Amino acid sequence: MLGSTSKIGKYYVYGSTLISAFIVFLIFTILIISSWDAITTVGLDLLKFQWNPATGEFGIIPMLFGTLVVTFIALLIAVPLGIYTAIFTSEILPSKYRFIVKSLLELLAGIPSIIFGLIGIAFFSIWVQNIFDLQSGRTIFTAGILLSIMILPTIITLTDDAFHNIPDKYRETAKGLGLYKFEIIKEILLPIAKPDLKGAILLAFGRALGETMAVMLVIGSIDRIPSPIYNWLSPGQTITSKLGREIAETSFGSVHFSAMIFMGLLLFIIVLILTILSQNSLKSNRRLYE
Amino acid sequence: MNRKLKNNLFYTSVGVAVLVCALILFFLFGIIIWNGLPAISLDFLTNSSSDFGATGGIVYQIFGSILLIVFAALICLPIALGTAIYKSEYLKNETANKLINTLIYSLNGIPSVIFGIFGLIFFVNLLNMGISWFVGSIILSMMILPTVTLSTYQSINSIPTVYRESSSALGLNKWQVIVQVLLPQGFSGAITGLLIGVARAIGETAPIMFIATAFSGVKLPSSFLEPVSTLPTHILALAQQATNPAALQNAWGSSLVLVILVIIFSISALFIRLRHQTISKR
Repeated sequence: MLGSTSKIGKYYVYGSTLISAFIVFLIFTILIISSWDAITTVGLDLLKFQWNPATGEFGIIPMLFGTLVVTFIALLIAVPLGIYTAIFTSEILPSKYRFIVKSLLELLAGIPSIIFGLIGIAFFSIWVQNIFDLQSGRTIFTAGILLSIMILPTIITLTDDAFHNIPDKYRETAKGLGLYKFEIIKEILLPIAKPDLKGAILLAFGRALGETMAVMLVIGSIDRIPSPIYNWLSPGQTITSKLGREIAETSFGSVHFSAMIFMGLLLFIIVLILTILSQNSLKSNRRLYE
Repeated sequence: MNRKLKNNLFYTSVGVAVLVCALILFFLFGIIIWNGLPAISLDFLTNSSSDFGATGGIVYQIFGSILLIVFAALICLPIALGTAIYKSEYLKNETANKLINTLIYSLNGIPSVIFGIFGLIFFVNLLNMGISWFVGSIILSMMILPTVTLSTYQSINSIPTVYRESSSALGLNKWQVIVQVLLPQGFSGAITGLLIGVARAIGETAPIMFIATAFSGVKLPSSFLEPVSTLPTHILALAQQATNPAALQNAWGSSLVLVILVIIFSISALFIRLRHQTISKR
């Protein structure tokens, strides 16, 4: 009797682990099968610059370009801002206030992305429109700014943890040698925290690539690369916004649908690589953010 | 440039960065509360929406959101518990442990919209379940699985080995040790993880917008295979008619309600975690 409950328990435990492990493979397989149609029939034409389902053109480059530029803008703003702020919360702010700062950051990280989208529509896009005197404020630049705010808590929290995990003896020794705070941070703490910082940035990178709702509402949703190419104050499209806007209206089983899934597959693979790289960097700090 | 000047310059740039971040924080919460509060009234919370959401309340949206996350939590809990026990008590092979960790972190990293299209292909079309709230719950349970698993694992794994050894010495077999000694401790970790996961799941739009929700006119579902209306998708629908001031007002009201729900779940998770910590310290 005791033996059999133990056995059932063992099967249950093994079974649930199999299910957990199986999900990632299942998603990957389903995405490959569904995009196979596009890979075989459209082939290398997927890498063209035109997206027009009516004429059978499925070039995904505009969406890929939009995704990369929006993420680049977001990281350009959020990384320096986040690291400087984390230096403040970890090195300058007395540690009795740390709990409050951490809670505020977690609140900020908890705001659902659709609400960022609403704020983007109601404020940011109007500001961009007025400041740069545009016809519409829904641009690649607006999406980048909004995204930078969304990934800021991730960067601050992880960077703050990275600095906080460094033992105090390093700071005390450096201080004993007469180094200024700036020098302590730059010469001693930053090199130690570097792998964790790399992990934090990679994780934020992955999150920014996959963000959908906020970007979808403010980017303007036009499937072309802006001309000239650096004119980021014009509407664009990312992979996620394209999927969010169009997939529900695309009929299941068509080449159009398949081409959309191909973009999803591409995003999935990129984000997976970034996640694995970031987990390897974040070794000292194996906690699941969020 | 001398050292002192460099140091001061550094302090200035840190100050500017902190000021910008603080401003962002206050701006975000400020506008959510400032715009949301006037929209909220008892009528808003207890009436159904009409006129594509521009007038009326959000009672069915609140119900739909809660329904989705309750079932997501119920589906997720047994699987997460089993995986956590396996990882902590059965798994001895270092390579297999690494592989499972990688899979769990990968699952956690998958963008939410990918879960949405996966659900659309697999559940809605291949399994032919149609657009239904139950599919939404399954997808959300997959999304929160890593969080719940790792949180449970950490609390089970942190129980000192001497507990396991003493109870084995008293003649308990492995499964009895797990059920009677480890699970009561591990459960608080599971609940913490569930609350954190649910706080994230309730605000998600992208995974459920194609597979579980309808934008308006939906009331209570009478079976497992019907769509519901949720707060995030309601905000999405209203945000797309942003030129209509009444719709925008309701969007802000719904946003504030959603943020309050998220905060309630997060704070409950925090309290359980803190209480558990003080117990294990004794």
